[in-house]
Amino acid sequence: MIGIRTTRMVVLLVTLLAGILTFAGCAAEGAPEPETPAPAAETSDTGLLVFAADGEEHAREGTVSKEGWNITFEHAYVTLADIAAYQTDPPYDVDADGWDLAYDHMVSLPGEFTIDLADPASDPAILGEVADAPAGFYNAFSWHMVRAASGPAEGNSIVFIGTAEKDGETVDFTLRFDQELAYQGGEYIGDVRKGILDAGGEAEAEMTFHFDHFFGRADKDADDPLNTDALGFDPLAALATDGVVDVSLGDLKESLSAEDYARLEDILVHFGHIGENHCIAEPLE
Amino acid sequence: MDSVRALTLIVTMAFLVLAMPAEVALGHGVELSVAPHESIEVNAAYEAGEPMAGAQVAVFAPGEPAEPWLRGSVDEEGRFFFVPDSDRPGTWEVQVRQAGHGGIVRIEVEPAGVVEVTGGGLTPLQKALMAACVLWGSIGTALYFKRRAV
Repeated sequence: MIGIRTTRMVVLLVTLLAGILTFAGCAAEGAPEPETPAPAAETSDTGLLVFAADGEEHAREGTVSKEGWNITFEHAYVTLADIAAYQTDPPYDVDADGWDLAYDHMVSLPGEFTIDLADPASDPAILGEVADAPAGFYNAFSWHMVRAASGPAEGNSIVFIGTAEKDGETVDFTLRFDQELAYQGGEYIGDVRKGILDAGGEAEAEMTFHFDHFFGRADKDADDPLNTDALGFDPLAALATDGVVDVSLGDLKESLSAEDYARLEDILVHFGHIGENHCIAEPLE
Repeated sequence: MDSVRALTLIVTMAFLVLAMPAEVALGHGVELSVAPHESIEVNAAYEAGEPMAGAQVAVFAPGEPAEPWLRGSVDEEGRFFFVPDSDRPGTWEVQVRQAGHGGIVRIEVEPAGVVEVTGGGLTPLQKALMAACVLWGSIGTALYFKRRAV
């Protein structure tokens, strides 16, 4: 035991002596200054997250309803607020998780935004951006559709203004919906994958609004679920006076059949998507 | 309405074992070899059960979320088959979309095969069925190779 201790002491002393001699030698040779800590990596762990909304070509270029009405929008206002994007792992699954959204990072975009999805420049409409968003995959989103406090859509969450034409008949329409809704959905599904933010890079968080759910599509079979569930334009044209229909949601509740109004309520709930991924939604009041 | 909005992606296992000898020599110097592979079958349907015939499919390999590893489309019965690269274990993601509707399903693949499936709007019953399919796939694989070894 004593031998082992002695050996350890010797090794320690030799090591210390070697260290001292080495240090002295380096100093005598004018050793470089001690290295400063390596600078942090040039790339930060954040990036630019751009929030956008898209009404797709149905809003910007018009659409043909399931009954053959050629519909063009002069304006298609929606008002959005309380917008947020989330990084979730395991990925948020709207069908399995419902409203329970557990996240690692959340980036919110403060403010209220009234945007015109019929504007050709709204491809998509840029709402705002967050410059220091944590890098990662933004695969869940939430927002509210609210009544505009001011502006062209004041008092309404959705305002559609446009013209419908069919067989020589023209109907100018203004549809005003004041229903406020909360939406929540998972990752963007589309022809490209969005929401992947690399450090120092840029990514898009897009909310998508499906206008064909309101009016259906002539290029789909009549028994396609998209058309059987759509309101179409015939029920609205039936309300026109001198070629004009200007109605609120309350007016439609009084005027439409119970079946059509229930259909319209359901359409409003399912208006918001993330690309082609459906959301859950519920009225705010 | 929900029949349009919601869709279901079901993942099952399939075994592409062709009834041919392991190697076939033909007259003009062509050799065909066949190896059994465990494939993944994705079934895409609207909630009402209507197949998403012709829907576009994008398969993303683990660690490459931005670029599809494979693109394709489902058949008339809403089915899409693929064989994941066994050298790339991890979470494989399959997106299916058609005319404004889409869904995603995630498949945990390990060298031993599929271990878990999440997403796709699956009900508990469907998940239980899928677990049974995966179990069946594992047993099937074991029996196949056991038979080969005899």
